[in-house]
Amino acid sequence: MRMQCLDTKFFTSSTSLAPIQLPSRMETHLWYVIPNEVKSEQLLNKYLEFLPKSEKEHVFSLRGDELQKGALLARALVRTTIARYQINQVSPRSLKFRKNIHGKPEVDWQQIEDWHPQQLHFNISHTKSLVACGVSTHNPIGIDIEEKERKIKHSISSFAKRYFSQQEVQLLCSISDPEIQRQEFIKLWTLKEAYVKALGRGFSGSPFQTLTIRSVADSKESFHLSESSSFENSDIVVESLEDSANLTGDWQFALLELVGSHYAAICLRKDCANKCSHPMKMSVWRTIPLVEDEYVSGTDSVIAVGGLM
Amino acid sequence: MASFTASSISFTPLSSSLNLNKGLAKSSVSLSINGISFPSHGLKSVSRRFSVSCAAKPETVDKVCEIVRKQLAIQPDVAVSGDSKFAALGADSLDTVEIVMGLEEEFGISVEEESAQTIATVQDAADLIENLVEKKGSA
Repeated sequence: MRMQCLDTKFFTSSTSLAPIQLPSRMETHLWYVIPNEVKSEQLLNKYLEFLPKSEKEHVFSLRGDELQKGALLARALVRTTIARYQINQVSPRSLKFRKNIHGKPEVDWQQIEDWHPQQLHFNISHTKSLVACGVSTHNPIGIDIEEKERKIKHSISSFAKRYFSQQEVQLLCSISDPEIQRQEFIKLWTLKEAYVKALGRGFSGSPFQTLTIRSVADSKESFHLSESSSFENSDIVVESLEDSANLTGDWQFALLELVGSHYAAICLRKDCANKCSHPMKMSVWRTIPLVEDEYVSGTDSVIAVGGLM
Repeated sequence: MASFTASSISFTPLSSSLNLNKGLAKSSVSLSINGISFPSHGLKSVSRRFSVSCAAKPETVDKVCEIVRKQLAIQPDVAVSGDSKFAALGADSLDTVEIVMGLEEEFGISVEEESAQTIATVQDAADLIENLVEKKGSA
């Protein structure tokens, strides 16, 4: 990692992280870091101190500085964020993580006193230029982010036929403008990924193709039929070919544009108590762990595409 | 007799019973390569020691490396070899699918989703390819 000590905004100590309040039951929090905003070698080393040996080894096993930095930021983000939600001060270093039976990462709460397990859920996603962490309480969450400009080398239709439902394939293949088709593909991909990650069962354990995700605007038009360049925030509905309410009735989706460069999809399991569909309440922060937070909901950094309040 | 190290095997098939993929259903391709199929990538290295199938030809490995390099836009100074893990090279799920599709095009094969999920390294991909190509040839 390069020596660039341009960042003079400093921090007092690694344990004095500003505490944050947990999201309420049907609310989600989304935190993101822009790697280009983190230049200080000293800061990056502070982050490294939060990681146990195994995570450090993983970071350094990645090939290339950029990848290593991204992975480091992802671990630093999730550790500092979760630590800040604790009622009693907890150091990011002390958090332990484990994987559930299906391989989905979760916090190992046995190490933390005065905390009720399974109340906090998180999921991370990152690209070369953005690292994000979604947080929810009581309900499993999955997030996926992709660069809007990401180029797909293979034909969209061959991708779609492999992973999307028939309805989705039809919808995608009916789009004549290749650029719009590519954008719609990316949106759908992030939604499906977010679902797979929320389920936590891994790719092959998830019913990718039997699930149709589409938007329902007031006029019943789908995303791509919207004529304006900035989409109306529409509802996202999920339909399953299989008659299993377990899979579809329980999950809600939101899609947004982040910092003008990324699509972010969030999938949240609906509260058991409240099965009816309603937009997701979300708060978004841009952050540099240990340095600063900026609440960005309602600004240009966060543009709702679907499913959001 | 077979003598093998962890990463490469030199083996002369003595009988057709060693062609494990014959007669097996398509979905068990991953089984026929290593003999043991584990859901977790963490156990991948263990299963390789018990592998009795041939390691892929160097040309196949090279071709896979080339496709991976292109898809992931890997810097020239970063080495890519049989041992390279896709995740360590920065491949996300979309990249992995594109790589698999690239391999299908290059080698004229079709990869089942379950098999695609078992590919963690370049070597895994090369072995899978050769297995599928061979299967195709003998079909």
